[in-house]
Amino acid sequence: MNTCTHYQVQNDECEIFQYAVQHRLPVLIKGPTGCGKTRFIEHMAQQLGRPLYTVSCHDDLTAADLLGRHLVGPEGTYWQDGPLTRAAREGGICYLDEIIEARKDTTVALHSLSDHRRTVHLERTGETVIAHDDFMLVISYNPSYQNMVKGLKPSTRQRFVAMSFDYPEPSVEASIVSHEAGIDEATAGQLVKLATDIRRLTDIDLKAAVSTRLLIYAGKMLSSGCPARKACLYCLIEPLTDEPSTLEPLIRLVDAHF
Amino acid sequence: MEEVIGKIWDRWVTRQVASDYSGASVRLADLQAELTLYYHALGGAPGKTLEPADTRRVRLRRTGMQRVAGTHQRFALPWQDERSVRLPPSLAVFPSARLNTALYYWQVAMAAYLPQVHNWFADNQQTVLALIGHYPGLGRQYRELAETLLTLRPPAEDLPDDLQRRERAVAEALRNPGALADLPFARFDCFPVWLWSYPPPVTLHCVPEASDDSSTERDPGQRSPRQTRLEQRKQAQRIDDEHETDGLLVFLPDSLMSWTEQINLDRCQDDDGDGDLDQVASDLDLITVSSRRKATAAKVKFDLDLPAAENDELCLGPGIRLPEWHFKQGRLRPDVCLLQPLLTDDAEPVSLPPHLAGTADEVKQQFSRLGLQRTRLRGQPDGQELDLDAWLDDYSRPVKDTTRQNFFLDRRQHHRDFGCLILADLSLSTEGYVSDDCQVIDVIRDSLMVLAEGLDRIQDEFAIYGFSSVRSNHVRYQLMKNFGEPYSDRVRGRIARIKPGFYTRMGAAIRQSTRILDMQPQAHRVLLLVSDGKPNDLDQYEGRYGIEDTRQAVIEAQRQGITPYCVTVDEQGHDYLPYLFGRDGFAVVRDPAQLPGVLPRIYLNLSTH
Ligand SMILES: Nc1ncnc2c1ncn2[C@@H]1O[C@H](COP(=O)(O)OP(=O)(O)OP(=O)(O)O)[C@@H](O)[C@H]1O
Ligand SMILES: [Mg+2]
Repeated sequence: MNTCTHYQVQNDECEIFQYAVQHRLPVLIKGPTGCGKTRFIEHMAQQLGRPLYTVSCHDDLTAADLLGRHLVGPEGTYWQDGPLTRAAREGGICYLDEIIEARKDTTVALHSLSDHRRTVHLERTGETVIAHDDFMLVISYNPSYQNMVKGLKPSTRQRFVAMSFDYPEPSVEASIVSHEAGIDEATAGQLVKLATDIRRLTDIDLKAAVSTRLLIYAGKMLSSGCPARKACLYCLIEPLTDEPSTLEPLIRLVDAHF
Repeated sequence: MEEVIGKIWDRWVTRQVASDYSGASVRLADLQAELTLYYHALGGAPGKTLEPADTRRVRLRRTGMQRVAGTHQRFALPWQDERSVRLPPSLAVFPSARLNTALYYWQVAMAAYLPQVHNWFADNQQTVLALIGHYPGLGRQYRELAETLLTLRPPAEDLPDDLQRRERAVAEALRNPGALADLPFARFDCFPVWLWSYPPPVTLHCVPEASDDSSTERDPGQRSPRQTRLEQRKQAQRIDDEHETDGLLVFLPDSLMSWTEQINLDRCQDDDGDGDLDQVASDLDLITVSSRRKATAAKVKFDLDLPAAENDELCLGPGIRLPEWHFKQGRLRPDVCLLQPLLTDDAEPVSLPPHLAGTADEVKQQFSRLGLQRTRLRGQPDGQELDLDAWLDDYSRPVKDTTRQNFFLDRRQHHRDFGCLILADLSLSTEGYVSDDCQVIDVIRDSLMVLAEGLDRIQDEFAIYGFSSVRSNHVRYQLMKNFGEPYSDRVRGRIARIKPGFYTRMGAAIRQSTRILDMQPQAHRVLLLVSDGKPNDLDQYEGRYGIEDTRQAVIEAQRQGITPYCVTVDEQGHDYLPYLFGRDGFAVVRDPAQLPGVLPRIYLNLSTH
């Protein structure tokens, strides 16, 4: 992590987050991939001067992975806090990325930490950890994945202040791309216009949207002299689709913009 | 010698006459999917698709040679209306396929930015300006197309004065869009400007009186006031159909003819107001009804009446009122539809037809295998793997409890908690043939039976309904199996009795299915629509209205936590289903004969992860 992460404010997200911090409320951030969720949390953690514990969730993630487990050492076994317990004990932001990937019985472990109790009971050691005043729980997920089987339990959801992120509005996104990729605003602006067109196809003809992250990739390639057509093809189009009938019109779209 | 001269003459005539390059021709059908996507990316109305334009008459001043050859009267020009964007079925304007393809893309871009042409000359220029301003690359492409097009247009100096002025103005407008405001008057149209969009065509149409028997001669002196109004509006550009048959005969196979008649008859009685009248006009443009229709009218017999009461189905209750989405008003209009639940109560119970036994067995096996999928449970007293975590926990316990040695990982079958409502499209189009001896309806019938076998095997709760419609006040919703009822020979008997009829008011059927699913307790609920085409009905449901209503009904279902999914045998499904059901919300089965085997697999994919 670099000392000062650049974060361009999109809306009132910093304010809202500050209020949540002030009242020690847990926060849920939802938004499509690569729209700046992680960047935002990193930024807020720096602003607050708190350590950040990030966990990427997956469907084999168990409560023990979050809370902690016994390990074998030279002198027998010892207890090792998981990232959640550690953040709760020492103070810090615990950020659970893509929480939806975790199984429901795992997310239940969060309940006592995310309501007024602010405690976590470690069944294995019998200890009840009372959360540090600087502890904060943040979870995120991408609502665009449609899956019948996965989803957040209402009882989990309703413990969080929920903030919706989306790709920044064009002028803001252009300045982010320009800054992050080191290209001029005009070129960044054209990239964003292209992204706006491609995003119209999301969920209809394309599964995923062009993310700010991908725009930055394309911008970086452009900045070192890669022709626009190639940069866009490899950074924006190919990552989105495998179907030739979708590729062709998207390439035409790139040609229209550059 | 004679032969050689003949050939040379022939070639010369053709060269004189042909103003296109057939060798470089590009077909819309080959580019349709790409162009549709491009259109939507550029912000074209998401509910609209692309269709081939019919030819229309352009009043050109033809050269003697063109008159001899009989060409240059009708052109398929690009235009659009509420329903769809029409593009030429093929383009051979330029000498290279590359440029003709580029022209298609350009026309699509124009369509996206100019949904309605009010002032043909000014609007087109403004749109070109907007496009090249927004898209630098497209601007370069435009200049190449425009410059090439200018070299291909008939030379202005060969034209009479008025047309010459007009042609020069068009040329200037192509070169410097926005430069000129007005198109000089001329007695003839100028040659089609392929880079521009055109307004909808207008043609003569005969709208019979509601009471009119379609076989009697119509007296032109006795037009309805409405019809007169409409015709006055259009008079200036009316086509005299007595003399022109091109583009008409090609387009009217018998089946379509009957459909046209149907629209025509029906629209007359429609009292939906003026908006609908315009719709009549533009629809008829597409399927031009010639004034000689009385000759064919005798052949055309379409039963408008609903099935008589003695027919198979028992009406269940007085019918259910359902809302419908009006996209122009952007709101749900309450109680617009009347949905009639029906039950074929006298259907004989039947067992599984022998020809399905093989497929059904395979499907049942697939479904049983699904039952083997397991989840991993930790800390179990018994199991296939050691749970090291559990052991360590126990090991580090100061006081050990030897009775609780749960150190295993166990894979166990998990409880499926699924409810599925299968909704089958039973509209008249399912009468179409899949092969010599098999219709779409047969395939749907077989698919329902086979899928039901599978669902019954894994004990997922399911219901089966079919639907069709005759306008909003008669949406037929046919019960084959409801959720409470066990799957039995009786259910199969009802499935066996389905037959094609009427139209496809998808929105209402989806809404009712959503209501039914909403009462189901399962955690995961699927609405599986089995269809063979777009939503349509006799009234304005045809076209964009129906598309938008269906989409809205799908969104409503999703809001209820239901997963709508569409399986279609319509090859064109890719053009509209993404908009209706989302990118992952549908499957197109190219070979309808495969549907019985494929449908259960689709369901399995949907309900496992
Ligand atoms: N507001 C912003 N200010 C500065 N940079 C931003 C901003 N938004 C996005 N970015 C850039 O976009 C990139 C992707 O953002 P980030 O990794 O935060 O996305 P994410 O929403 O966490 O995506 P995912 O869901 O895939 O994890 C960042 O590396 C950063 O360069
Ligand atoms: Mg992230």
